[in-house]
Amino acid sequence: MSRLWKLLSGPEDIGQSAWFWVGFAALIIFFLYYPAVITEFEASSISYYLLNIPLALGLCLLWGYAGVLSFGQVAYFGIAGYVYGVVAGNMIGNPWGPLVGSIAGLTASAIIAAIFGYFVFYARVQMWIAPILTLVFTLLLETFLGQTAGYQWRIGSVQLGGYNGMTGIPSFQLGKLVFFGYSFYYYVLIVVLICFLACRMLVSSRHGHVLLAIREDPVRTELFGYDIRARQLVIFVIAAVLAGISGLLYVQWGNYITPTQVGLLQAALPVIWVAVGGRDSLIAVAITTYLLNWLTYALSSAGNQYALVIIGALLVCVMLFFPKGIIVTLARELPRRGWRSAFTER
Amino acid sequence: MPSPNHQEPAARYMDNVAIALSVLYQFGTNGAFLLLSALGLIVILGMMNIINLAHGELMMMGAYVATTAVQRGVPFPLAVLVAFIAIAIFGAIFERLVVRRFYGRELGALVVTWGISLILSQGSLLVFGPFMPSIQIPGGSISVGLYSFSEYWLALITVAIVVVFGLWWLYNHTTFGLQARATMQNAAMARALGVNTDRVYMLTFSLGAGLAGFSGALLAPTTSIMPFMGQQFVAPAFITVVVGGATNVITGALGSSILLSLVRTPIGFLFGSFLGLVALLLAALIIIRLMPDGISAWLQRYLDRWSRIRISA
Repeated sequence: MSRLWKLLSGPEDIGQSAWFWVGFAALIIFFLYYPAVITEFEASSISYYLLNIPLALGLCLLWGYAGVLSFGQVAYFGIAGYVYGVVAGNMIGNPWGPLVGSIAGLTASAIIAAIFGYFVFYARVQMWIAPILTLVFTLLLETFLGQTAGYQWRIGSVQLGGYNGMTGIPSFQLGKLVFFGYSFYYYVLIVVLICFLACRMLVSSRHGHVLLAIREDPVRTELFGYDIRARQLVIFVIAAVLAGISGLLYVQWGNYITPTQVGLLQAALPVIWVAVGGRDSLIAVAITTYLLNWLTYALSSAGNQYALVIIGALLVCVMLFFPKGIIVTLARELPRRGWRSAFTER
Repeated sequence: MPSPNHQEPAARYMDNVAIALSVLYQFGTNGAFLLLSALGLIVILGMMNIINLAHGELMMMGAYVATTAVQRGVPFPLAVLVAFIAIAIFGAIFERLVVRRFYGRELGALVVTWGISLILSQGSLLVFGPFMPSIQIPGGSISVGLYSFSEYWLALITVAIVVVFGLWWLYNHTTFGLQARATMQNAAMARALGVNTDRVYMLTFSLGAGLAGFSGALLAPTTSIMPFMGQQFVAPAFITVVVGGATNVITGALGSSILLSLVRTPIGFLFGSFLGLVALLLAALIIIRLMPDGISAWLQRYLDRWSRIRISA
């Protein structure tokens, strides 16, 4: 038990004090009781803000903890979503179809990430190559999915649908229990919570410590006898699976997916969520992902065309003035280094 | 046109020449396209080890400037020059205000230039609307046998070669080039010897941005003018740069665009342009597996060995 506690409350993320955990518990209780006072539609919007968190956590692990930047996390989001759509769509009527579809989606994401990651990491390329190649990969995926319009692009009874996307994707269900509305909200909450706690345990584990060492000094870590290529590949696959979880939740939430979900604009969003919060803190990333999704939704539903310009400007300002991220600067650097030096990179 | 079975030997010979020319033309246009879309990016990368993710948007802005100028009655070559200068100035300002703060932090630079690209593309969507009437391809076409070749693309191939030659001259025969190469090899040492590295960085970034604008303007007549038109250039440009590497700008750009056009042309011809692009990505993955620092580092080793042999002989 104390071992578990050590893993959950390690120094690699913000928040070890009792007060932090009291606040965390209060937050969970708040989210558990929140649906009692809101409409089903609002609960569904909140599910949407929450379901993006695993995607961001995956990028946080990659970029913040392992020092590998990926611009293509949405590719694995899309792959899982599309594969789920195809598998579950062909098993409509079967009560376990969505579960099989979910497993298939995550497996597909993991396998494709493993193949792609093998070429990138085992080549020992320079730092800037991984982000560029992942970006190119997601752009090609978007182009590919965009040209799948028409009847010949049909797998079983499901049409890929080109730029109009895939529609009529079944909701998640376990046996007779179908998740939508309020029950979907709780399902998302539990999945996101598990992902968050698992990531937190990962960064405090031995594997997590090796990742931190690779980020700080790859050559030295390698001289200690660790295979840094394998470690980077493993974390890349884990991040892809986390992105896949978000993709699954997304298609189960909206029952559709379009190629724009893996496009250039969508690809930018996870990077922004992670950079704004602070890339080396899971809790900071989870919070900013929720808040920025809410902000984007609020801006665009108010008919504001400038939503993406504002989000882009936010990213540039954060990179210029809070290079470590807003929440991390406030929570970690400020108490330690004071006002003056907290805002400059070491 | 007589049917192929009853051709005179001379006519058949002409046809073979035309086929050979057509293949060469395809290679040439693909290579020129890759070279033009990647040049600005690779100049900046080679110098500062920074990938400018706003590259596609700089090309888009170049295309907008040139198109607007042509619609106001400016002759096309002059419009391209205007685009080069305008985007070069923009690049200099961009470097002073933003990029300068990210030297030595490669990933930070990637992310911040991406934020800028988001602002530029979305901003131009709001300012200029989703479409702009594009300009006609200047020049006609030459026909040899059954095939016809666009004069404009032939001109673009020539321009791409001239620009590469110009860059070679700039880097090897001017004071700026000498200082730039010195800064590239060892910035601290160059500073100690009195090179104003700050200025070199600014001018290089400005040159790279200007080249992006220049290429955008040149490619503008061949495509439709939209705020997101940059996207179609970035994937090929990034692959060219990844394959080329940053060790030597000229050999990297030239070597990788030739190599990739050898991959893209047959596959694009047989299976369509999308699979041509996929083949580019697969080729890039395999090439970095074999030469992690790109083709330029690989070529550089041979060049170095060759020059050592010459010195010792």
